[in-house]
Amino acid sequence: MVDNIGGSSSNAENSGMREQDQLLPIANVGRIMKQILPPNAKISKESKETMQECVSEFISFVTSEASEKCRRERRKTVNGDDVCWALASLGFDDYAEPLRRYLHRYRELEVDRSTNQDRGNSPLTREGS
Amino acid sequence: MVIMAEEEENAASTVSEFPKGRVKKIMTLDKDVKRVSSEALFLVSRSTELFLQFLAEKSAQVAIEKKRKTVNLEHIRVAVKRHQPTRDFLLDDLPPPSQPNKPDKHTTPAARPKSDKPLPGTRRIDQFFRKPEPENPAQAEAQAQSPIPVDES
Repeated sequence: MVDNIGGSSSNAENSGMREQDQLLPIANVGRIMKQILPPNAKISKESKETMQECVSEFISFVTSEASEKCRRERRKTVNGDDVCWALASLGFDDYAEPLRRYLHRYRELEVDRSTNQDRGNSPLTREGS
Repeated sequence: MVIMAEEEENAASTVSEFPKGRVKKIMTLDKDVKRVSSEALFLVSRSTELFLQFLAEKSAQVAIEKKRKTVNLEHIRVAVKRHQPTRDFLLDDLPPPSQPNKPDKHTTPAARPKSDKPLPGTRRIDQFFRKPEPENPAQAEAQAQSPIPVDES
């Protein structure tokens, strides 16, 4: 396996294929595709591999845009708002609604986890100790 | 206990379908990206799922239009072209179209020429079984012995 430590910043511009560790696992990619496709549809292996590349490109693309915003604003950490902003900026604003729901839920659970208390006003923690 | 519909539960899930470490690794390939909050990592993972679902669905639609059961690269390509934001960042990254199957006037399939000279440094296999031209006496002598090492143990 190629050692990617200290890789050059031109990695995203590689005209060749990415190394496996720069791709999301093909099993995960295939599973999500299968869930979406009609039951009798098939996916060629080449298509699954292409999709792997496509989603990695998407990650790089969105991250780069979010990171650029942080750089302009002199911040070091890319946060959730930066990602939302980047998606809208790149034309994926229809993801905003579902992501907002995911984020809301994520924050709820994260707070519950870190404080480790029954918050009372959260329906899911009403039960328990 | 609150019972949620499966779809709603999935939407509310705080676990991404993709391994966090791998998503983070891809994000940090860009050396300008130094630190990433856990929220950012989560949202990138989730939005990537959405994108994959979107592209898979659109590609399948193209396959259906073309009356094919198997989604292939060209279906993906058409799906990418149809969505401008996706087209902008992805179209040039797709593998080039494979060569058409029809025979072309100008390019014939690379048939192995039968009477060509062998490439320098190599010998055609049938030369092993023929008495060589005495071009190079040393070579001729070497060839007189068995050219193929046999493991006698």
